[in-house]
Amino acid sequence: MPDIMIVEDDPAIREELGLLLVNEGYQVTAVTHFADVSGQVQRAAPDLVLLDLGLPGRDGLALCADIRRTSRTPIIFVTSRDSASDELYALSLGGDDYITKPYNIPVLLARIKAVLRRTGGPAEPDTLEAGGLTLHLARGTASAEGGTAELTRNELKILACLMSHAGQIVSRADLIDALWDSQIYIDDNTLSVNMTRLRTKLEGIGLPGFIKTRRGMGYQL
Amino acid sequence: MTLREFLSDRLDRLLIQGICAAAAALFLWATGTQPGVLVILFLALLPVFVGAQLTGFFRQRTRLQELESILEGLDQKYLFAECLPPSNALYERQLWELTRRAGQAMASAVSDARSAQGEYREYVERWVHEVKTPITAARLICRELDGETRRKLAGELARIEEHVERALFYARAESPERDCVLRRTNLGEIVSRAVDAHRSLLIQSGVRVETDGLDCEVCTDEKWAVFLLGQLLQNAARYRGEEPVIQISARPLGRQIQLTVTDNGMGIPAHELPRVFDRGFTGRNGRSRGGSTGMGLYLCKKLSGFLELGLTITSQEGEGTAVTLTFPAKENLTKL
Repeated sequence: MPDIMIVEDDPAIREELGLLLVNEGYQVTAVTHFADVSGQVQRAAPDLVLLDLGLPGRDGLALCADIRRTSRTPIIFVTSRDSASDELYALSLGGDDYITKPYNIPVLLARIKAVLRRTGGPAEPDTLEAGGLTLHLARGTASAEGGTAELTRNELKILACLMSHAGQIVSRADLIDALWDSQIYIDDNTLSVNMTRLRTKLEGIGLPGFIKTRRGMGYQL
Repeated sequence: MTLREFLSDRLDRLLIQGICAAAAALFLWATGTQPGVLVILFLALLPVFVGAQLTGFFRQRTRLQELESILEGLDQKYLFAECLPPSNALYERQLWELTRRAGQAMASAVSDARSAQGEYREYVERWVHEVKTPITAARLICRELDGETRRKLAGELARIEEHVERALFYARAESPERDCVLRRTNLGEIVSRAVDAHRSLLIQSGVRVETDGLDCEVCTDEKWAVFLLGQLLQNAARYRGEEPVIQISARPLGRQIQLTVTDNGMGIPAHELPRVFDRGFTGRNGRSRGGSTGMGLYLCKKLSGFLELGLTITSQEGEGTAVTLTFPAKENLTKL
């Protein structure tokens, strides 16, 4: 599992962000002493560093330059400073991405994934399993005892979202949130259409009623 | 200044001079000077007198024109007195001294006000950046809550963010040159950033977002354009109707590009339309829904001025609203 190092001085964010990333299946190391951060990065050798700009002692920009001197670890700046000059400077120092607070959690996760993919970090899990169904993310197929079904991009995303929260109720709004892409905005009707098609396909591979509707609340596996 | 104005200004002096000349002529005539001699004397002195008046007129006029052109050339007009060439005339020198002292008082008041405003702006910016940290933490904590509570809290957090963002851009709009960076940017990128920034509001409102023709380049400041567009999206989502749809479409208009945000919301009454860009104006919709500050469109207008964007709005009550942003052709950008 990719190892992510959090360099953030606000304890609440450090803790919650750590929890979020652990839930998403990453290993997390959080820096709590801000002396010799670049040394700590070198020793821990993480796959990615999330670096705040405003830190006690040396600020994030100086730290980024320090880290770059000894390592090529990908760095994502996560900061509340949003001026264009800060961003340009941060990227010119060797940062791989720049995310401003307050961030959308799905957006943050997507960008972490993108940087890891780009920099060739350890591969993410390619399959998800729940309730007798195996989802192959890269191939875009779902297989169960009754066979294998090919899924569209949206169906794949819906199923991935439900399966990674197996047992929990996922609201329609959350599903739409997961389906929203930078250019394609899914609305309620499209979700219903996709859901119906997905259920038909699942029925075809021997899993009728795999996705349960919880009236007024959302969907559940 | 015309010759007539000059003479009428000196009327009292001219009258006294005339009366003196007449009295002298009368005296000379009474003491036996020949009338012919008086006529010669008059004809000899008249050109001298007229010449003196004309010289005075032209000298004053040249001086005034010189001062006028100095004032014209000044950026900070209140520094006028500091830039005057010294005069030979005693009276003018004294006036100059007085004006200079007044100007200095003014200049120091202006610079005090400027630095106070600058400090305030800096404070607001720092405050905004600081408050974003707890908002981020609250968002992350929110995740652990269950369905309904989380959605409500996330909605309220989004509203806090919107207000905070407006405060930031309000402060920035005071000195736009400081962080406005004009660059060629893909319009689709700007739109997707703006939509992403308001995704929770848009999704919760059940809005369908449609885009069309956005794959083109504009020359603008990305952050400001995203903020501006965000205000329009917020309005469209806030004042939505049944089955809300927001269409974001772009089309070229000569060398310019027109971006239109159209909604099918409640629309704006015709008599309120001319005032929607006024500071603090909340129309009937804003009042009936509550939570309207009347700052969003005002800021849009202000920022679009700096970015040299055209900003126009049309609306039919009950049918929807369309706001059009016209991005200038790149070569024409001058202000920043």
